[in-house]
Amino acid sequence: MALLDLKGVVKDYPLGQTVVHALRGLDLAIEKGEIVAIMGPSGSGKSTLMHVLGALDTPTDGTASLEGHNLEELGEDELVTLRGKKVGFVFQTFNLIQSLTAQQNVELPMIFLGVRKKARAERARLLLEKVGLGERLEHRPNELSGGERQRVAIARALANNPEIILADEPTGNLDSETGATILDLLKKLSLDEGKTMILITHDPDAAAIAGRIIRLRDGRVVQEVRNA
Amino acid sequence: MLSEFFRLAAQSILHRKLRSLLAVLGVLIGIAAVVGLISIGLSLEGMMKGEVSKVFGADTFVIMDKDTFSRGHSSGAKQYALDLPTLENVEGVKTVAAIRQRTAFVQGSAGADGKLTQGFFPVMGLSPQFLTEFKAFTPDTKLEPGGRNIAEGDLAVAVLSDELAKRLNVAVGDSILVAGEKSNEIKASVIGILAPSDAKQSQGFSGGMGATTTDTIYIPNAAMGQLWPEGNDFLVTAVRILPGYKVDDVADRAEAALKAEGSQVAAITSSDITSFIDKILSSVSVFLAGLAAISLVVGGVGVMNTMFTSVLERTKDIGVMKAVGAKNRHVLAIFLIESGLIGVLGGVIGILAGLGLSAGACFAINTFANMPGGVTFPFVASPVLILATLVSSFAVGALSGLWPARRGARMPVVDALRYE
Repeated sequence: MALLDLKGVVKDYPLGQTVVHALRGLDLAIEKGEIVAIMGPSGSGKSTLMHVLGALDTPTDGTASLEGHNLEELGEDELVTLRGKKVGFVFQTFNLIQSLTAQQNVELPMIFLGVRKKARAERARLLLEKVGLGERLEHRPNELSGGERQRVAIARALANNPEIILADEPTGNLDSETGATILDLLKKLSLDEGKTMILITHDPDAAAIAGRIIRLRDGRVVQEVRNA
Repeated sequence: MLSEFFRLAAQSILHRKLRSLLAVLGVLIGIAAVVGLISIGLSLEGMMKGEVSKVFGADTFVIMDKDTFSRGHSSGAKQYALDLPTLENVEGVKTVAAIRQRTAFVQGSAGADGKLTQGFFPVMGLSPQFLTEFKAFTPDTKLEPGGRNIAEGDLAVAVLSDELAKRLNVAVGDSILVAGEKSNEIKASVIGILAPSDAKQSQGFSGGMGATTTDTIYIPNAAMGQLWPEGNDFLVTAVRILPGYKVDDVADRAEAALKAEGSQVAAITSSDITSFIDKILSSVSVFLAGLAAISLVVGGVGVMNTMFTSVLERTKDIGVMKAVGAKNRHVLAIFLIESGLIGVLGGVIGILAGLGLSAGACFAINTFANMPGGVTFPFVASPVLILATLVSSFAVGALSGLWPARRGARMPVVDALRYE
């Protein structure tokens, strides 16, 4: 059984008077430990697919399951808990909470899962050391560089030790050199910790670290390539 | 988890210092107004009750015309008929002292032109006990040197103001003629002249109970009895009870005995006056509570505005929190705690400011207002008021934040993450 399994997924949403057909019967299976890059032009449905893969949204039609849990069958709270435990997000714009320090940002997902304070602080420190920010624990996002912020975001994504890391244009706001370091870090984490990594990207360099590249167009998979 | 939500909320408040400060200020002003006004009201109540207990104590009551008390004002009190022996014979009564008042024809000495000075003046009959046993009813009166006050056993004597002494052309040792009803009259020897300040400020001996002016002539009640034997001109009668009796019981017996004689009077104890003060002040309290409500609503609208801005500004943060595992109720709790904390912060500082305001007002009144008869405004810091204000400030904050917080909590995670 695939870790993530999408069958005939349709996602429509209203936009003013019209309906946008973001995904039009999409089939996709992602196995545990894979690194998958999802590419495609703007409007191809990449972001919508990411929302469904990350259990942030449910399909209008078809089925989407995460580790055998059918997303449509879960209540809102169950969906949140599943997401909190199984998926870590890395966003293009980092999306760190400005009022919190690096360590507190990393602790945030653990707070909502009810992890105790001491265990939480210890894990946050460990993760920040792992991404090379052991000296920046007490810094707030505005005191960190773009690359450092993305490292904090990666550490936060790992906080609850999820099966899947979903990275939406993780290098989109970084210069090429910093972007390359972030990609190295993501690849290393995937290999070292056996995480399933899904990269939504325009960047061929980012796609290069993936074992499989999926191209979307108009809400459908149009190409699937395996990297050697 | 709740303690973490408090920390997250507090950090958010600190992160947006200026906006939080302005929201806190809105609540602060409201709460300071509430606490300040109500505390001043409590001081007023304390002052009034303090004065009542100073005058009455636990062993004294007064007899007044029944309408005078129920109408609620004592100046220009209606006069009443009273049979003093009936009152003195009531079980438990120790001392009775009365004030009576009439207008009488009075004649002084001849002036330089040989003409007698005369006219109609208010005459007040005073039991000497008023000046000894019921001193609290009569503020300390100062007499000009060489004079003395009315004392027990006096009959044909008089005390008058310096102004009236001049008009009647008399000094201590001279005599004035006071004419009563029919052909009753006495030649009263002037034994004292009120010092000028006392004649005006203390309103003479009656402590404001009767319609005294600087024209009033004070004579002993015994003399009053000779001039007007029918005792239907009483203004106020003070009664002290014997030890071991309850003042309310004796007052009830006295009232019943006097009513049986046909007197339309009321026996008033300190508890009657205290409940009367409460009645008056409760309407003041309703007014103050109205003002308080307006101030709090204004403060609450400020908090609501801040929270709406905060929710809007942190839409993306809400999306991130939900993406990493926050449930709707977690987001709701964080925002509610944040607005509640703004309320409490405004509440705590507002309470201190309000108490400071009230203390300052009491100090200013006590220092500069020169209240007659040594009346002071006690500063009152009511623990009930403080606790109630603290709880309501949190409630105002949290309630004002409820709507914005619910909007934030219900925001779909995908929409929140997309928000720019």
